[in-house]
Amino acid sequence: MIVTLLSVVLILAGLVFFLGAAVGLVRFPDFYTRMHAAGKGDTLSSLLVVLGLAVWRLHDVHGLAGLREHWSILLVILKLLAICAFIMITSPTATHALMDAGFEDGIDPVIDGENNNALHGRRAQAPPADS
Amino acid sequence: MKKFALVAVIVTGSLLLYAVGDFPAFGDAKSPANAGVEGGFSVSRYYITETAADTAVPNIVTAVLADYRGYDTFFETTVIFIAGLAIFAILRVANPGAPDRRDRPSSDSGVEGDHNRVIIGMTCRLLIPVIQLFALYVVAHGHHSPGGGFQGGVMLGASFILIAIASDLDTALRRFSERRYLALGCVGILIYGGFGLLCQLLDRHFLDYGVLHKLMGVTPVMARSHSMLGVEIGVAFTVTSVMFAIYANLSTRGELRSGL
Repeated sequence: MIVTLLSVVLILAGLVFFLGAAVGLVRFPDFYTRMHAAGKGDTLSSLLVVLGLAVWRLHDVHGLAGLREHWSILLVILKLLAICAFIMITSPTATHALMDAGFEDGIDPVIDGENNNALHGRRAQAPPADS
Repeated sequence: MKKFALVAVIVTGSLLLYAVGDFPAFGDAKSPANAGVEGGFSVSRYYITETAADTAVPNIVTAVLADYRGYDTFFETTVIFIAGLAIFAILRVANPGAPDRRDRPSSDSGVEGDHNRVIIGMTCRLLIPVIQLFALYVVAHGHHSPGGGFQGGVMLGASFILIAIASDLDTALRRFSERRYLALGCVGILIYGGFGLLCQLLDRHFLDYGVLHKLMGVTPVMARSHSMLGVEIGVAFTVTSVMFAIYANLSTRGELRSGL
């Protein structure tokens, strides 16, 4: 019962964050804010959904004695947790790399709803972008 | 010309769709593929019931791929190798330094660039060993669980491509040089073909692994299992090197100089 509740809550929370990421991706004004929504929302929601699935696997385990018996379930849970760890490392890095590429490529962020911005002046003094 | 192409596409498409109606229903136990021709021999049933006894391999897919239909897989690997060779032959330029190339030093941009590389470099340093270990596991465990030479080889090749993307092509080429990946691609094919030739030398058909028990000192059944692993390793060598060769040549227009 508690296991079901916990896993459903985790997965639902993940879906909410997925929805937020999707809405942000469509509605935010420029590249950087869109990547912000997609990167953060995607990371957290994938983590939550996978964690929810890991918790769901506990269904087949009845107490600690059961855990010793069904060690293969423990293995599945460990694999899911490993996926969580890898998502936590790779997803923000991918977002960072995309952001960095966008900045080096000269995409301007939108500030105050118009395309003139404070960053522009600073970038002009920075060393010429490599690529 | 465009209209002709459109007509050809529509005719072929409707022929294909028409043929779909003649297919047996999905999962039909009486279809020829599952039950065999009436009163005849069913290949798929043979695979399902006899694979374990024939080859001691739990993963039937690998057994079919690497043993029963070993010819097919051998020439699939050859096709991949030829694709790599073709890209190499078309793109690779012997004399780098084409005039339209912007001459720029590799990878030393400003302070900001170095700062940004710390994050990506650190992540790759954490992940690439894991990716490569997992790729080797997928290759070595291919006949017991999903996986095999193609999948493991692609992952291994992708890990080298990741090195090239994260730092630059020179760094990746220092670890996996052109000479080395070309040699490794050939070695993979030679390993696969070598297993087949060895069977022929022992008076059996090409790729008839059972006879190799004379060399391996195990039962003929286990000899087939072990030979599948050997063949998968050959496939993995070829796929790894072709993946990286294609990336290295395509991304630099055959100059093999770091550009990205």
